[in-house]
Amino acid sequence: MTDYESENGTTRDELVQRVALMEEMIAEGRASTARWGWVFVMWGLIYFAAMAWVIFLPFKDWAWPVCVAFGIVVSVIKGRRTRNTGKNQRSRSLEAVWQIFSAGITLYVIGANASGHGTQPAYYAAIFFFIGIAHGISARILRWGAQGLAAAVWWAGGIAMFFFTMRNEILAIFLIAAFFGMIVFGLYAMMLERRRAAEMVQAHA
Amino acid sequence: MTYIERDGGTTRDELVQRVALMEEMIAEGRQSTARYGWMFVLWGLTYFAAIAWTVYLPYTEWAWPACIAACSVVFGIVRSRQSCVEGQIDNLRRHSLDAVWQVIGGGIILYLIAVIASGHGKEPEYLAAVLFFNGLANGVSARILRWWPQGVAAAIWWGCGTTMLLFTTRTEILTLFLMATFFGMIVFGLYAMMLENHMSSMVPGEQQ
Repeated sequence: MTDYESENGTTRDELVQRVALMEEMIAEGRASTARWGWVFVMWGLIYFAAMAWVIFLPFKDWAWPVCVAFGIVVSVIKGRRTRNTGKNQRSRSLEAVWQIFSAGITLYVIGANASGHGTQPAYYAAIFFFIGIAHGISARILRWGAQGLAAAVWWAGGIAMFFFTMRNEILAIFLIAAFFGMIVFGLYAMMLERRRAAEMVQAHA
Repeated sequence: MTYIERDGGTTRDELVQRVALMEEMIAEGRQSTARYGWMFVLWGLTYFAAIAWTVYLPYTEWAWPACIAACSVVFGIVRSRQSCVEGQIDNLRRHSLDAVWQVIGGGIILYLIAVIASGHGKEPEYLAAVLFFNGLANGVSARILRWWPQGVAAAIWWGCGTTMLLFTTRTEILTLFLMATFFGMIVFGLYAMMLENHMSSMVPGEQQ
């Protein structure tokens, strides 16, 4: 096939350019997620903090609303500074995924707790599945095995929730999923970002 | 700003080309979703058939597995024929949308298997979660395609999911599920099909 041949009105040159652009965008998107690694670590720590408050401190009813509100405020403030750097179609799709999932999870949690269904296994499992799906979609878009593993951790936790329904078991599953699927993944993303930044500095030098 | 001026290492020409490509991709992605309008209608009708079987026919435990299996077969055949006839539209937005629907589809199936295997299929949170899954898929697609009719479909799924947590009798749950399926799937699918018909009846120059 020569450069002038066309298939469905698209020349080979155009296809090559498109593929190159897509590959560049995948790399940019992955770098962009790595740049947001701190968000995963922060939310993982917030989950731990909220759980610790529920177990050890008074006014347990306020633990989750206060911790989640704090997380949202920090994400928005710090996110605004990070947002303006390196935005492309793929990172925009990822942003759409995480924004819609955050809104959906919030609505589901409010609805379930307002109606008194916030203690059932199906409710906890659904939240795990929502988070796992958001990771899974990101992993699929970025073709990133590490984030696929994070998704698998959340899904496995969600399935386990249906079979281990004692309070301590639920707590243990939640903490394991938050640790491996959020904190460890976030630290890995931050490490990648740091390494990428160091390579860029070396390249400039 | 002239054409050779640079902003963050990118020339104005490059930026203009990128924006044009992205706009083209949005249009292609939206058109591609419209082309798959029949899928929404097919799945909506499958839900109705499964519920009708559950309510009126014997062997009710087979209703959902049989209907979903039949629908998946029809879906696979029609989709492969459609791909052969029209070719694949492959761009970043399409790839993202595929990822969204495939992962959410996989997630719903895994969730349902776990629910049934563990005997938690009677809890209202479970059905509400299924409605939320559908709403999330539509919501993310709407946001990626910047397409408000699909946003309305997402809102319908979420609205019915939230309401389901408050109204938990069998009839109420059934009514909410059918309402969400009808408006969020069948009506939206018919609208997408109508749009696709409209676009294909236009001459190529007018489509922009």
